[in-house]
Order: sequence, then structure tokens, then C-alpha cells
Amino acid sequence: MTEGTALDLATARVGSGEFTAVVEQTGGDVRLTDADGTGLDPWTTAVWLAGRNDSIRIGLPAPVAAVSPEMREKAYESFEILAGSRLMTGAQRREGIDYDGIPASLADTAVAPGDPGYRARKSTYMRGGSPGLVLRPRTPAEVADALAFARDHRHLPLGLRSGGHGFSGRSTNDGGLVIDLGAMNDVEVLDEDRRLVRVGPGATWKQVSAVLDKYDWAIGSGDYGGVGVGGLATAGGIGLLSREHGLTIDRLRAVELVLADGTPVRAGAEENQELFWGVRGAGANLGVVTAFEFEAAPTGDVGWAQLVLVSPDFEQALKQYGEVARNAPRDTTIFLMAGPPREGQSVIQLYGMVDSGDADTVVERLTPFASIGQLAQQQVVITRYADVMGQAADVGAGGHHGRGEPISRSGLLPVLTDAFARDAARLLRSGQVFVFALRHMGGAIADTPPDATAWAHRTPEFQVTALGSDRAGLDRVWDRLAHHFDGLYLSFETDQRPERLRDAFPPATLSRLRALKRRHDPTNLLRDNFNIDPEVEK
Amino acid sequence: MTDYGRDLLFGLFVTPNAAAVDLTVTADRAGLDLVSFQDHPYQPAFLDTWTLMAYAAARTSRIRLLGNVLNLPLRPPAVLARAAASLDLLSGGRIELGLGAGGFPDGIAAMGGPRLTVGQRIDALAEAIPIIRDLWDTGTRERVDHRGEHYTVVGAKRGPRPAHDMGIWIGAYKPRMLALTGRLGDGWLPSMPYLPRGADSLPEMNARIDEAALSAGRDPARVRRLMTFTELDGPPARRVDHLADLALHHGISGFIVASDDPRTADILAAEVAPAVRDLVKRERGAVPAA
Repeated sequence: MTEGTALDLATARVGSGEFTAVVEQTGGDVRLTDADGTGLDPWTTAVWLAGRNDSIRIGLPAPVAAVSPEMREKAYESFEILAGSRLMTGAQRREGIDYDGIPASLADTAVAPGDPGYRARKSTYMRGGSPGLVLRPRTPAEVADALAFARDHRHLPLGLRSGGHGFSGRSTNDGGLVIDLGAMNDVEVLDEDRRLVRVGPGATWKQVSAVLDKYDWAIGSGDYGGVGVGGLATAGGIGLLSREHGLTIDRLRAVELVLADGTPVRAGAEENQELFWGVRGAGANLGVVTAFEFEAAPTGDVGWAQLVLVSPDFEQALKQYGEVARNAPRDTTIFLMAGPPREGQSVIQLYGMVDSGDADTVVERLTPFASIGQLAQQQVVITRYADVMGQAADVGAGGHHGRGEPISRSGLLPVLTDAFARDAARLLRSGQVFVFALRHMGGAIADTPPDATAWAHRTPEFQVTALGSDRAGLDRVWDRLAHHFDGLYLSFETDQRPERLRDAFPPATLSRLRALKRRHDPTNLLRDNFNIDPEVEK
Repeated sequence: MTDYGRDLLFGLFVTPNAAAVDLTVTADRAGLDLVSFQDHPYQPAFLDTWTLMAYAAARTSRIRLLGNVLNLPLRPPAVLARAAASLDLLSGGRIELGLGAGGFPDGIAAMGGPRLTVGQRIDALAEAIPIIRDLWDTGTRERVDHRGEHYTVVGAKRGPRPAHDMGIWIGAYKPRMLALTGRLGDGWLPSMPYLPRGADSLPEMNARIDEAALSAGRDPARVRRLMTFTELDGPPARRVDHLADLALHHGISGFIVASDDPRTADILAAEVAPAVRDLVKRERGAVPAA
């Protein structure tokens, strides 16, 4: 398979006949070899050759020497931008992956480092990554093939990816496998009378809402249309309609999944009820969901509000927001976002939805929120849920290009007390938090009993998230708030300390989940996203 | 008030994106002496500066290239030494090593680099330079051993050796870095807007470099003083006088203009450089440099 020229970097002399022949070669491949590591630098030479000769392809003797995977990927990306896809893939491939053993059903669509399209699939919205192989199944059978390949590669990280949008989700990694469900993105109405909709994990909520809009339906999702269905609908789903219709998982009626051993299973009210219980809150630990069946809610026009307020006293504004939000009717969901105060002023963004097409009702609902500070900007429109989700940019073929690791903490707040408002204001003054967000809960979320799904925290008033840029710094200031919280929502959490699992799942829930894990993934294949270890008790 | 008497270099400071290749080709043809590339790998819109430099070197024939300045925490010294020597060989001796201790700790950490304090970054640079010089020195076959706080190299083979006596030019502003530049560097590569009092800071900063060089037993004139300017502005007549003044009275012998505009390359090469060179030559003739 290797035609072309070999050039040994240890003996190559610039300007020698051998070297000139390579530079002037018309087309074909040049393979660099690096016998003793003291000759020309392989990467520098590869790039230089690509710059001298526009038609050759170049093979490296080893991956680029770099301080980190991020820097190595940056070098590859830069090469591709400058010189096109002219690196032969071999050297960019990662150790410990049987590239020749990729199942036939997945071989055509799989993407490895060096392949065209790798750049578009290696990173997520929030996180830079460099997986060794991205498998892209289109059917449950292909998901089973991908899981079989993963079982042969237990030594590697394994990410499951739907929309690639999550903070916490390990939907990419360094040198491991990713099962990318993006191709499984069908949205199909199953039963118009019962408003039953079947959705693939790779669809985005923007795509789902656009289909449902034609029927005057909606399924409450998160607050951003670019989020994928799979990640959200296995974790929870706190969104703009949750107070009216419950969490996204509360709208689920059945799921189909492929278990770690490759078995396809259907779970719902009729069958595999316990598994269905666990998928709703801890799905990523239990299998790869290949189809979700939701009951959509009738939804007409909605009010969509974006307000910007300024306040010299964030503590007071937060207290007032808590009071207003607590007393809001179920049709009203208003989230709050703020950064650190600047020159004594906090800029507070409120955004959210009133599930009503009546302008007077919308104004009436929003008015108390608009008084928590001095109103600086406002945009309120009567629109469609699908149009709100539709504001998310289409990612397209270019893919996500997140960098580094997001640093976030999260908590569920039973009551927004005066003490919390004081401590939150202090948190923002610490300089460790650049975004602080409250998601408005309550209402229909509490209509589902705590033991009905693996998402047990049904009664908090708010879900709280902080983003920072320094892991230790954020943990230090956030851990001081711990006594205010009861539980957390994993989707906004990036702290890897094991206590977080116990925050997310109360003891009874966690013990049930471990039992499920022992039954459905006893070898703990699915372990990279807040792992529920089947072997650990408590 | 010093003139170290060195030949004058003129060049550009460019943004490391794909357009920088054509810009470098333009600068090469225009007759500029060098093109220097920013290095901020944590900027998603920027290319990897080393990859870009290697590619641009391949597409030019005369002009010198350097990082301004390369980010040491993201470019370990052993890798950098081999890469720089290789590109110098490949390009026929057209590479200088612009090196900095690395700013932007969050960006560096996001790219997988170490999170270091300012003091640690300076210590790391002081460790890196001798490692690089040893790896370049193929005058002996003795293996290279350095056991440092930040970098450890054990039993490393030497080579390759650069094609020319490659300069290590250091981005430095604060006293410790200036002293390091005088002690270990071949060049000083600051940016005018970062000098606390602009050109008025030069006597004091030069003196710190000179003192450190002398204490290390080196000739201060060995450390070339360059300067990066944010733009080429002002009327040409005053511009020439200003640059000549910096050369004659503050020892600046490298004039690097931040611009991604090919016209700047042409003006700098065709108008500014010859005029400054003429003026400096005349003045130096009248008052011989020390």
C-alpha cells in the first residue's frame, strides 16, 4: 500500500540530491522516517515540504511532538487550513485502537484523526477534544456494532454524543472513542390524537420544535435550540415550558435503547419499567438511547422576553427576583443571568417565556420582573416556541469548535433565601465567576413524585449554575455555598469529585441506579459521564 | 544614550492567520528583512504559529522569520530547539528564535500548558535557553543533561545544528526579564506600547540589559535591541527622524511594524528603511559609535 518515497530525517541533508528529488517530486506520497530522533524535526519538515510542493502527500513517522493534545491538534488543523488534507492519516492515528477492526457497517462513516471531516467532529460546543475514532451509527444495529467495538477497547475513554452541546457530558475525549449519534435525527409523529412523537437522539431541539410547530405542539426542552435530544432527554431538561409541562423527561412515554452488551430493549410504562425509570435522569449510564417517544403538549403562540436590567445592589435584585419568580403562575418561566459587578453596577439579563399569545397577559406577567432593577433594554415578542428554539445557529458541516474544558458548578436551590442572595452577591464579587445563572423551576416539575424517575429533585425553586475560568478558584468559592443547595443537575456540572454523584442522586435513587447498572451494564462499559459504578455500594 | 552600531533590520509583525502567508511573500519580494508572527495558540481564530512559519518559510526565499514571541509554556524547549534548527536548515539560515515567558495563564492552561506564576515562568525561560543552546551545539558528542524545576532533559542527543548562528530574541519588560535578556539573550524584542513611558523608558531598560550582560561577562552590544511598533503612522519625514533617533540614541537596530496590510510592507521597504539607513549611516559617520 505504500508507494512513494521514503525520506529518513536522520540522514537527510537539505540540498542533497535525495532531498531535492523529494521537493521536486510530482505528486505521490512522501513518508518521513525518523530513525534516531536527531535529524530534522518531522513536523517542521512535513510542513516545509507541503509548502514547497503543492501536490505531494506526506506521512509522518509519529504524532506531532507537542506539550498537549490541544497543541498537537492545533498543529494538524493549521496544516489542513494552509496546505489542505495532505497528511497521510497513519501517523495521526492514536495508539490502542484497532483501526483495521472497525465493524464493516461503520467503516465508511467512521472518522479518525487525519480524515477530512475530523476537525468538524472532534470538539464539542464547550470542549476541545481529539478522539482517536468517531463512530457514526445510523441504526440501532450499528449502535450495537459500535458498542461491540467499544467493548474491545475498554482501555480507552468512551463518549456518547448527540448534539455535542453539553457542559458535563463527555461527548468528546482525548485519544478515545466517540459514538456520535448525530445521524439518528429523525422526528416522526406517531399518533396525532395522542400527540405522540418519536425522535432520534441526534436531532436538535431546534429540529424537533420546527416539526411540532406545524401541529401547534411543543415539547419543553432546554433554553437553547442547538442542544441535542439525546443528552437532554436522558439527563433531565429544565426549560422554558417546564413549569407548565414538567421536565423534558416527564414528557417521555417510552424509549428504545441498545444496552452495553448490544441488546436492543424497549422501556416504558408497559415494559422494563425500572429501566425506563433510570433512563429518565441517568440514561447515559444505562445504554445508548436510539429513539425517544414523547407526548407533546398543545402550544400556540408564546411570549418571549429578553430584558436587561441594571442594579447597584445585586443582592437586593436577586431577592426580589426570587420573590417574583416564586409567585409567578405556571405559564411564566423567567431565567436570570448575571456577571460580576462592574463599577458598582450589576447587569442582569432576564429571559424567558410566558405560555400565552395574549399581549396583555404577557405584559402583566413580565411587569413584576422588570422592576427588580433599572430597565436598560427590553425585547418582548409574541412568537412561536419553534422560533425561540430556531434562534440557535445551525452548526452545519463545520461542526463545533470548542476549546479546552468548561469549568462550571451547579446546584439546586430549595428556597432563594436572603442568606443565599447575600452569598451569591459575594460569589460574584469574588472574581471567580464570569456567568451566574438561575433557572426558574417549580410548578409542574413537582407534579411528578420524586421516586417516579431517577431525577429525584422535584421541589427546588431554582437551578443555579456558575461558570468560571479556574477550576480550583471556582470550587473554592462555590463550595462555600454548599449549605444552600440540596442536590444538583448534572448537565451543568463539571466538577469530577465523586461527591457530585451523591449530590445528583439521593441515596435511595443511587442504590436503585446501581442495581440497574449491575443488571444492564455489569462491566461498566458506559462510565465516562458521572459514572454510577455497579460495584460500589453507597 | 547608546548606539550599539549594528546593522538595521526592518520587518513586520503579523497576525498568524492564513493570509499571513501571502503577506510574508509580499514582504519577501518587497525587500524587507524579516517577518515576525504573533503566537497566541489559545486564540481559536489563529493558526499554530510554528506551522505557519514553516509553511511561510517554504514559500519565501530571502526574508527572515521569527515568532514575536513564541509562547514557551506551550512549546517545550527540546521540541523547540529541534524544530527551530530544522527550519533554519531547511530555509537556508532564515530563522531567529523569538521567545517569551508566556502571558495569558488562562489561555495557556486551556491549551493544556502548565499554569505558572510570573516568577515560575521566568525561571522556566532561564532553564529553557541553556537547554536549547546545548541541543544546538554539536561541537561535542556529550549527551545533554539538564535537571531543572520546569524542564528535565536526560541523556539527550544533540542536533540538529542550525544553519546559522541563530539568535534567541526575548520579549522582556520587567527588571527580572530584562536581566535575563542581558544574561542569556541575543536580542531584545519588546513592543513600544508596553513600555511604561514609551521611548523614554528605553535608557533605563537598556541599562538593565547592559548591566546584566556585563555582569555575565558578555558584551552588551551582542544583545540586539529591536522594537515592535503598533503602526506606521505620522508624516514620513518625522517618521524617519524618529526611527533614526531610536537607532542612534537608544540602540534600536530592528524596526518591526504591526500590520497585516501589504502596502505597509512596500512603504516600509521602499521608503522608510532606505531613508532611515541613510540618515543613520551619515550620523554614524559623523560621530563614530563607541
